[in-house]
Amino acid sequence: MIKRGITVFALALLLAVPSAFAADGAAIVKKCGSCHKLTGPAAKTIKEVRERKAPDLFYAGSKFNKDWLVGYIQNPTVIRPAGTVYANHIKTTGDTDTVVTPPKCESKLSAGDAAAAADYLMTLKDPKMKTGVAKLGEFSNAKAKMLIIKTEACNGCHQIQGNGGVSCPTWEGIGKRLNPDWVYSFVQNPEYWDPKIWMGKRDLDEASVQLIVNFIAAQK
Amino acid sequence: MKKIVISKFSAVLVAAAIILMGGMTVSASAETANDNYNLYCVQCHGSAGTGKGINAPFLAVAPRNHTDPKAMGELSDANVALAIKEGGSAVGKSTQMPSWKHSLTDAEIKDIVALLRQKCKCTGAAK
Repeated sequence: MIKRGITVFALALLLAVPSAFAADGAAIVKKCGSCHKLTGPAAKTIKEVRERKAPDLFYAGSKFNKDWLVGYIQNPTVIRPAGTVYANHIKTTGDTDTVVTPPKCESKLSAGDAAAAADYLMTLKDPKMKTGVAKLGEFSNAKAKMLIIKTEACNGCHQIQGNGGVSCPTWEGIGKRLNPDWVYSFVQNPEYWDPKIWMGKRDLDEASVQLIVNFIAAQK
Repeated sequence: MKKIVISKFSAVLVAAAIILMGGMTVSASAETANDNYNLYCVQCHGSAGTGKGINAPFLAVAPRNHTDPKAMGELSDANVALAIKEGGSAVGKSTQMPSWKHSLTDAEIKDIVALLRQKCKCTGAAK
């Protein structure tokens, strides 16, 4: 009888342990608040932008793909070659600017904590963002490059397929990183997300936006 | 008594005018030309304005050197303002210079043109 009681108790303990020790995503993410903004609104003045240490996360659930988030927060890599705000990481020698290596995110969460943090981050959504608007499918890579490189010159600021500027996020692996619906919204109106972003809003037609969204989604 | 009422009324009018004028100044140009230049322009044109920003090595066409009095002097203020507002293609130059019309107000663009004139130590060509 006692043996049976112990066995039942042990089983109950085994079942209880995972939930008792399940990571609290909100608590983990709260620590990220020392660098990332976890509540809106976005910076509205240049002074506020210059004080930004890391990208805003208060709409992370709209912006990112969850699978990418889980991997990234276990082992962060450099996405913005000149830091979150490039203007804070330049050195002028003579008349030429160069990038001063920006600080890297030191977060290295365990797989379990990363999953919990990503679960929480995915709840931080902008309810106004339209979903289902990115129409992914077959597209002309040549036409996309003509638009992106020749017409809009996105590579002036972004590294695209290994070549391009450094003041904005690299497009390497961007298709894994970003939710296509968020890309659709950002490309149409970057200032909606970041009023003082140093990317000029383009007046693009629907076909051009979809072409850019498809090209970006294909950069895995 | 009448004098006191008039002087109080005048004080209210003066205070209202000061508030309105202050408001107008802020809405006309919310950011300084230097702050705008350092955020939007420096990435390509460089901190020194010489066209040697961090993105410059990756551009097919070298960014304009804002400190070059000869090249800048050949451009009218209206032409420079149009390039900032509508992008390089609007003035027959590189499409790599984007339009900033959604980022900057007309007043802010005017202030940046004035700043560029300080950088080149030149005046603009006649229209």
